[in-house]
Amino acid sequence: MANLPDEKFIERIADGIELMEPEAAPTRLKAKVYSALMQQQAKRSPLLSLTEISARGQKLCVFEKLVQIAPVGESAKSLNICRVCHARVLAEHMENPPIYWSGCPYVELKNS
Amino acid sequence: MHSLGQQTSGEPQTISSSADEDSKLVAAILLKDRKATAEFVARYADDLYSYVRSRLAPRYDQVEDLVQEVFLTAWQSLSQYRGTGSLQAWVTGIARHKVEDYYRARLRMPESIEDADQGPATSSLVSNFHELLEQDQLRKNTWRVLAGLSEQHRLALIWRYWDKASAREMALKTGKTEKAIERLLARARAEFRERWTHGQSS
Repeated sequence: MANLPDEKFIERIADGIELMEPEAAPTRLKAKVYSALMQQQAKRSPLLSLTEISARGQKLCVFEKLVQIAPVGESAKSLNICRVCHARVLAEHMENPPIYWSGCPYVELKNS
Repeated sequence: MHSLGQQTSGEPQTISSSADEDSKLVAAILLKDRKATAEFVARYADDLYSYVRSRLAPRYDQVEDLVQEVFLTAWQSLSQYRGTGSLQAWVTGIARHKVEDYYRARLRMPESIEDADQGPATSSLVSNFHELLEQDQLRKNTWRVLAGLSEQHRLALIWRYWDKASAREMALKTGKTEKAIERLLARARAEFRERWTHGQSS
């Protein structure tokens, strides 16, 4: 190695070493990314309604379930209700947020 | 499709997915199924974070913004995903482009030595390369040396030798001449070699 020209020297190192080491993304980041995606999606047109999501076999959180069974129109069930949920706020600001209920996307992201 | 609600925390962070699962996930996201979007984030956040972090290190302040940008771009382009490769490879391709944009912006700036010498101390004299063949140790040394370089030298080397961009490609993307890139690389290589061999103090 000592006698190699600079270019060959660094090529040998680069070929033998992958710089990337597996590292879990912070929970806060996952929550923020999810919130940003939901915000972008909701901005363009309504989200898939909670009724349809439930019909697809997906699990709803307790708050989503309440909205889903409430006597309100489908348009209300297509809103991004996580926007007003404290779970979102906690998940976006804490690495280990005290949120536990099943079906909540922020809880699932925390556990992923 | 894997249901996010069915995953457990003990599962591997990278979920290998078949083309069929990828297509179903993409279709569900395009329908604006919020659970599918959460699964999308859960599946790829760790890998994208690791990749972007490794390319921007030791400047970690922009890693999170860049990861978020990758996801937003991926979502905006998702209708163009044709399923010819895995969704993971497709998303990683977007991350590579974003990282290249970062390199491009940083390398277009005038070269500065202000940010050199701010990294951790370089390893001591490497007298016998074979003693360091242990991958982990070698990686640590590589990082120590890269961290001690100026940002432009570090990014140029990573872009050229780890991401395998040609000098011509780098020149085209940064608006510099190929010769200017070659000179930048030559200085970066020499600095890398110097720090690798003799340590930062010499």
